[in-house]
Amino acid sequence: MKQVFLTPAVAVLLLLSIFPLFWSLGISFTDVQRGSAAATTTTDDGTVVEDSGFLGLGFHATLRNYARMPEDERLLTAARNTLFYVLAGVTIQYIIGFGLALVLHQPFRGRNIIRVIFLMPMMMTPVAVAYTGRMMFDTSIAPLAQLLRTISHTLGLERPLFIPWLTDGSVAPWTIVLIDSWQWIPFMTLILLAGMQAIPEDIYEAARVDGASSWQILRKITFPILLPISATVILIRGLEIFKIIDVIVVTTGGGPGSATESLTMYIFKTALTFGNYGYAAAISYILLILVIIFATIFLAAMRYLTPRTSG
Amino acid sequence: MKHRKWWHSLLLYTVVIVWSFIVLFPFYWLLTTSLKKPLAVARGPRYIPFVDFNPTTEHWQYLFDEQGETTLRHFRNSVIAASGSTVFSVLIGSMAGYGLSRFRYRWKFPPWRNNDIAFWIISQRFLPPALFVVPFLMIYSALGLVDTHAGLIIAYTMFNVPFAVWIMRDFFDNLPTDLEDSARVDGATRWQAFVRIVLPLSAPGLVSVAIFSFVFSWNEFLYALMLTNFDAITLPVFIAGQNNTRGVQWWYISALTLTAVAPVVLIGLLLERFITSGLIAGAVKG
Repeated sequence: MKQVFLTPAVAVLLLLSIFPLFWSLGISFTDVQRGSAAATTTTDDGTVVEDSGFLGLGFHATLRNYARMPEDERLLTAARNTLFYVLAGVTIQYIIGFGLALVLHQPFRGRNIIRVIFLMPMMMTPVAVAYTGRMMFDTSIAPLAQLLRTISHTLGLERPLFIPWLTDGSVAPWTIVLIDSWQWIPFMTLILLAGMQAIPEDIYEAARVDGASSWQILRKITFPILLPISATVILIRGLEIFKIIDVIVVTTGGGPGSATESLTMYIFKTALTFGNYGYAAAISYILLILVIIFATIFLAAMRYLTPRTSG
Repeated sequence: MKHRKWWHSLLLYTVVIVWSFIVLFPFYWLLTTSLKKPLAVARGPRYIPFVDFNPTTEHWQYLFDEQGETTLRHFRNSVIAASGSTVFSVLIGSMAGYGLSRFRYRWKFPPWRNNDIAFWIISQRFLPPALFVVPFLMIYSALGLVDTHAGLIIAYTMFNVPFAVWIMRDFFDNLPTDLEDSARVDGATRWQAFVRIVLPLSAPGLVSVAIFSFVFSWNEFLYALMLTNFDAITLPVFIAGQNNTRGVQWWYISALTLTAVAPVVLIGLLLERFITSGLIAGAVKG
């Protein structure tokens, strides 16, 4: 009887997650292309010969997908960008999110309505957030651009302040992180706030009786108690940012060049635009390995930071 | 009660006001841009309707009247995909959550108990979706599921189930068993007790799961982009496609964006406490 309850979930995951996972691993060792019905081999004199391929399945087994990776500049850029988004994203979001949680933890009038307002960006469609961000960071029609123009005018600068938010390869990744942060800082705030509210008040009372300052209380009590939950939110956000694609597609399309392209976006383009299924599957396994390394580090950190309980 | 120092209060209110502005201004800007004539957009920022530009509803009329068929089709696709996968996720998630909370499982291969199984299930939620791009493309085109509602519902259910199981398991762990126990003493089977007693008591948890599943599916982009090409295109893909048609028409994009965002932001505003409790179950108990 008890199997009835668990089986549907396990079946869904086996069928839709584990099975495709192995399928994808298999594909990554082949030269499968979109729409290819027959395998072809290019002979030494350059002619293309059709053959039956691996076990007559219409493709070849090959290690080439993995072998070519070190020379693929675009892949290395995408991997570097993805790591940048993850590290810069979680850092900014954690610091600001923690600060806002501290503020919302104070009692003040209108706190409930403010909490709800702070939550709003999190619910938005990332594509919509990205368009909004593109509008806010536009260099001619946006209020921000006008603000910069006004400032340069007032200061009488010879070269007006101009930030190429989305068109310069060294600025655009930061702009993308800012847009993602606008949406996801509320997530950090919400969970850290819940953590703060779970800390018993008498710990603070005792500290105050002993004459601790607010800064000392924050540094010696609040922050250490929140460490495990901090590791959790950073892990969750980090894993989510590894998947980033929508914001980039809408704001820069991966450009200029491939300066803002993420791994997910490169995989998507390799599979859908170039139709190279084998290589796309191989890159997706590289992404998985990066994700696993990141998660392992954080799970180890969490285990280390969580106070040991008996049993 | 202690009294705050004046600079403390000043700092507090400054942060609250500045951040509220950062959050709310983009929404204000979307709304005003959707009411501006193209020229009023192009000629640098205009801020206040009737003062520095004359508002017009022509873009909203265009989207919902002239082009109403198309807009509503994508809206309907989003509703169908999101609610379909929500129904399945709530159903499958609450069953598995209940099982993991009330029974002891002992798998032979792999040799896992409840906690391992639960961890395995939630770990599926964090696999990068890019891993599934190639297999889903191949399997879906072989099965004829590309560009169908069913295809989207299946894919989203797979992504929603892990979180649903996690939240519901946590919820059932905190739900007293007295009522279902007495029902079973009175002769009800497990299944009857689950359907008649436990589920009605679990409304808050179910609402949390439903919100998360719905919002995730509503906002999802990668799968919708990959698995649809005309009939089943959802709002996010439709909006992203506005990029290439006739330059960037900010007024239409703003109106569309508000259309796509309004339902979920409304859900968020009305049901804030369920979202908070769901997130906390998901993150804190991990």
